[in-house]
Amino acid sequence: MLAQLDATPVETPEIVWAGLLPLLILSAGALLLVMLRSVVKRLPADVEPHLITAIGPITVLGMWFAAGLAGTDVPLAGLRDDMGEPAFYIGLALVMVLAGTLVRTMEIGLDAAITVGLGLSAFAATWGIWDDRWQVTGPFNAIGDQFAVDGFALLFAGVLAASVVLVALLLDGYLRRESLDGPEMYVLMLLSAAGGIVMTGANDLIVIFLGIETLSIAVYVMAAMHNRRTESQEAGLKYFVLGAFASAFLLYGIAFTYGATGSTNLVDIQIFLSSGQLVDNGLLMAAFGLLLVGFGFKIAAAPFHAWTPDVYQGAPTPVVAFMASAVKAAGFAALLRVFMLGFFSHVDDWRPAIGALAVLTLIVGSVMAIVQSDVKRMLAYSSISHAGFILVGVHAASLAGINSVAFYAVAYTFLVIGSFGVLTVVSGVGDRATSLDDLNGMAKRRPVLAFMFTVFLLAQAGVPLTAGFVAKFEVINAAVDSEFYWLAIVAMLTAVVSAFLYLRIVLSMYLGTADGDAADLGDPIPKAAGLAIGIAFAVTVGFGILPGPLSDLASDALPALIGAG
Amino acid sequence: MTSLLASETAAVSFPVLTAMVLTPFLGALLLLVLPNNRPEYFKQVAFLVSALTAAMTAWVMVEFDKAHAATFQFVDQYEWIETLGISWALGLDGISLWLVVLTGALFPIVILAIDAEHSPKPYYAWILVLEAGCMGVFLALDLFAFFVFFEIVLVPMYFLIGQWGHGERAYAATKFFIYTMMGSALMLVGIISTAVITANTTGNDLTFGLIELAESQALGQTAARWIFLSFALAFAVKVPIFPLHTWLPDAHTNAPTAGSVILAGVMLKLGTYGFLRFGIYLFPEAAVYFAPFLVALGTIGILYGAIAATMQRDLKRLVAYSSVAHLGFIVIGTFALNTEGIEGGLLQMVNHGVSTGALFLLVGMIYERRHTREISKLGGLQKPAPMLAGVFMVVMLSSIGLPGLNGFVGEFLTLIGAFAAHRWWAVVAASGVIIAALYLLWAYQRVFHGPAEGDNATMPDLTVREGLTMVPFLVAIVFMGVYPKPVLERMEPAVDALVAHVETHVEDFDEPVADIAHHVELEDLADLGTDTHGEEDGEHG
Amino acid sequence: MSDYLRSYLTVGIFGLVGVALVGVFLGLGRILRPDHPNLAKNEAYESGVEPTGDMWSQANIRYYVFALLFVMFDVEAVFIFPWAARLEAYEVFGLIEMAIFIFILLLGLIYAWRKGVLKWV
Repeated sequence: MLAQLDATPVETPEIVWAGLLPLLILSAGALLLVMLRSVVKRLPADVEPHLITAIGPITVLGMWFAAGLAGTDVPLAGLRDDMGEPAFYIGLALVMVLAGTLVRTMEIGLDAAITVGLGLSAFAATWGIWDDRWQVTGPFNAIGDQFAVDGFALLFAGVLAASVVLVALLLDGYLRRESLDGPEMYVLMLLSAAGGIVMTGANDLIVIFLGIETLSIAVYVMAAMHNRRTESQEAGLKYFVLGAFASAFLLYGIAFTYGATGSTNLVDIQIFLSSGQLVDNGLLMAAFGLLLVGFGFKIAAAPFHAWTPDVYQGAPTPVVAFMASAVKAAGFAALLRVFMLGFFSHVDDWRPAIGALAVLTLIVGSVMAIVQSDVKRMLAYSSISHAGFILVGVHAASLAGINSVAFYAVAYTFLVIGSFGVLTVVSGVGDRATSLDDLNGMAKRRPVLAFMFTVFLLAQAGVPLTAGFVAKFEVINAAVDSEFYWLAIVAMLTAVVSAFLYLRIVLSMYLGTADGDAADLGDPIPKAAGLAIGIAFAVTVGFGILPGPLSDLASDALPALIGAG
Repeated sequence: MTSLLASETAAVSFPVLTAMVLTPFLGALLLLVLPNNRPEYFKQVAFLVSALTAAMTAWVMVEFDKAHAATFQFVDQYEWIETLGISWALGLDGISLWLVVLTGALFPIVILAIDAEHSPKPYYAWILVLEAGCMGVFLALDLFAFFVFFEIVLVPMYFLIGQWGHGERAYAATKFFIYTMMGSALMLVGIISTAVITANTTGNDLTFGLIELAESQALGQTAARWIFLSFALAFAVKVPIFPLHTWLPDAHTNAPTAGSVILAGVMLKLGTYGFLRFGIYLFPEAAVYFAPFLVALGTIGILYGAIAATMQRDLKRLVAYSSVAHLGFIVIGTFALNTEGIEGGLLQMVNHGVSTGALFLLVGMIYERRHTREISKLGGLQKPAPMLAGVFMVVMLSSIGLPGLNGFVGEFLTLIGAFAAHRWWAVVAASGVIIAALYLLWAYQRVFHGPAEGDNATMPDLTVREGLTMVPFLVAIVFMGVYPKPVLERMEPAVDALVAHVETHVEDFDEPVADIAHHVELEDLADLGTDTHGEEDGEHG
Repeated sequence: MSDYLRSYLTVGIFGLVGVALVGVFLGLGRILRPDHPNLAKNEAYESGVEPTGDMWSQANIRYYVFALLFVMFDVEAVFIFPWAARLEAYEVFGLIEMAIFIFILLLGLIYAWRKGVLKWV
């Protein structure tokens, strides 16, 4: 009997390595980084700066390779195209020199430089897959029928890679200021982003769960990383306990789904549900509920938001930027994938739940924010209300809805990294100065930073000519298109309520006068953090004034389910 | 859509309207990059930029083809967000022409007349952004673009009040922002609903173009009424119409002089203009349906504003409340839904911009000298400052509506229109004219007459610069009072087309014709335009 | 009796034989060995640390790190045993997979080692 078993060969899944390139770059990069940094602890002082400078050109090469590898099945075919032209080499050399100079002027640390390089390479790989493979052949499965590569997954993978780059730039100065140098934070962030990419493309509930856990566990540790701040410890613990709780819910939901449909694979689930063979509707409804609870925790939707203010307040500010951008984006990608693809035939069953969640989240996020006096807490609540807005887009359950979610996620990523980036810079050693009063008179001390923060806040409020407005516009468009006018109205009214919160912050920056002992005495802004904030600002305003390209991108980025056969 | 616009418009190679919007905006950016060590340049640069814009508006005014005033001219159209059918579409017709001219003229004067109290760089930058936004609202032919401009003007005004204001400026600025945003939040839903429902009903691609949406009239009656309400709320807050006016006195009182002048001169018109261009044009049936309601609110606003103004002790607050009353006139004129009423309303928008703008400037000058606006602390200013008193007198009389000055023409037309449509409301509204005379003359008497004591006695008169800045106002006041024909004849075809549009699309609606017009020869009074019912295009646009 | 149940019969007999064997050896020992109990002999650990004391006694933090590392490699073994039993079926694919798995774990060990966790100060 046993011998018989041995004889059966195990079916190994067909793997399209190129489709996994962004994931591989981030995860393998993280492992290599931790290995290198634990073997070589300290570099000689005369080597390190040159090594860091060298990372610039290496990154350029890495991006070129990644994009070329990702494009086609024939290894390096994309590269060979470029290689034909001599002009290419001149251009490449120029860009490499420029990159080196940029890295040098940024005065960035080794770990951050490597992380940025990895993030950019992953971004380039995403780009390569998008342009040369997905646009050409359409969506495909990368590992058996477990992991899909489609426009939607690629867009979110790009978002994750971009947030890794920006947060790494923020972390560099922050960790040095807080004397927390070391590769750990970067490694965890890379791993977490890799988990996020798994979530965006997962075609199976179990794979989604794996992704969520990889993403979350790394972030729990990141939240608690500031080991001299008790708030940070508290945040990490709280996030961990509640997150584990949520994971249990999610797993339970997966089990129920399996019970109801006989599979955890989204393709099978979809086929099963749309064929009308479902016996026990109650089981499926329970599964919807449990899955929503699980996802609700990750995206901080009310009533599962209670951890958000405490964790956002306690965790190191750049980590918060990562949590609010990447973690949330990945959570929404997975949520949308599961419900819009797997459960679409039962849209009438899950839609009311999402609608209720959306309304509650919008109201809690905007109303509770008003009474806060700590800016990080305020932004925590505002991130809750943004989750509500995105849920409105999910609730539309249409193509326009998916587009709006994609657009919102991209726009919000840059907005929120910009906002928390500014807070990172101004909050002073130990993240102490984050109360509203600490921002008093900031416009006088740091006019440019205050102006950028104002733009980020107004963008979050949905003022036109910022990406935040177009994002809200698209969501409302989706809601109206599905004829849910009431939801659109609720969303807009709560947006006005949250506008009050953003105005409070702006007022204290421009009208308040600083006390003598205001913590922020105008220490120089770390150049790398300045670069990150500047990029976020440029994207926010750029896509606000000319949203066309991003809108096209978002409307191309549709999720797809491909069966195994 | 392009065919509709392009066929009737002479090809204009230079996108002048786009330039009119972008010039102030780029000017603001230019200010931001100027070095800080030469603060005197800021004002000069800002003035030059706004003067350049004004020159372009002047050119547009001259080149405006009055024979085709009902069609949009100088149209610029570019794709903006292709996937959503949004384009950057700007155009000018007889309705928007004078508001654009007013905007173009007012900003350089404001920049010239008033110095920034502190931090000149952001101050002038914000004013220029404000100009760009206002221009955009008046020129936009795309609902998305319109909303963008309509909302974006909040930001510079918020900062102008908040950073350069007086007294409870933080409160006033926040109240202003939240109030107006609350109004327009629902309008965004309305705008999207209009576009989406139209696209779904007609089967065409999604578009936010004003003309296509207005001409297709694809909304059902109920939908159109609800959506009209969402627009009306946004505009009513901006106008403001009683009872949504409470932000206005606070904003005016605490705003810096420049802010008040722009707020009264241009920004309040964004609402009344919105009613004409978007409310009535897009939803004629709903506009007819809600017209009595809005006329009633307008009339209440006239009386309320007038009575409240009478009781003010702060001169600036008094002028602010008089604005509420004046805008009431514009509202009842607009919703009379006939040529006289709408024309009167439009003219009154320009008049109010000129005269109330000038009043706020003068109040600002008094405040600069005396550091108070309490009427009881002022008195006898005529003796030390005869020039100031004289100018104030003329402007105030224009605001009251003295025949021979501009205010009269507008109010008269408005009341004729309203009388034809809603006779008794018009009668009540007319009493507002009398109260206006009461509060303004009374205020004048208390401020300028009587013995001048203390600081009042030594108050300096207008400087040459201040006097010069008042000249354009006086010229406009007298010219439009004596010879309004050039103004009226350019707006009339557009207004006629709008009324015809309402008549075409609303069953059992006929323009309420003012019988009185046939008895009173308007030309005898003030040459109100020769051809009251010019070429009826039937098509608007 | 079906084939299916018969295979469980094998398991059952195997279990019974095991229990019997243990019983036989323990009983034999009891019969054969001398028996002189005293206090020291009755301690749970005859020559170890005193196992009783205050509830709140503190254990050295280092124990936790070792415990964690131990658990890590313990769990690794759980994964490796079934893999080893079926290695032939997995062929090269399985070999590479396990190499990656062990490499990642090893990385953790290297990291811990370089952090000085393994040093008992």
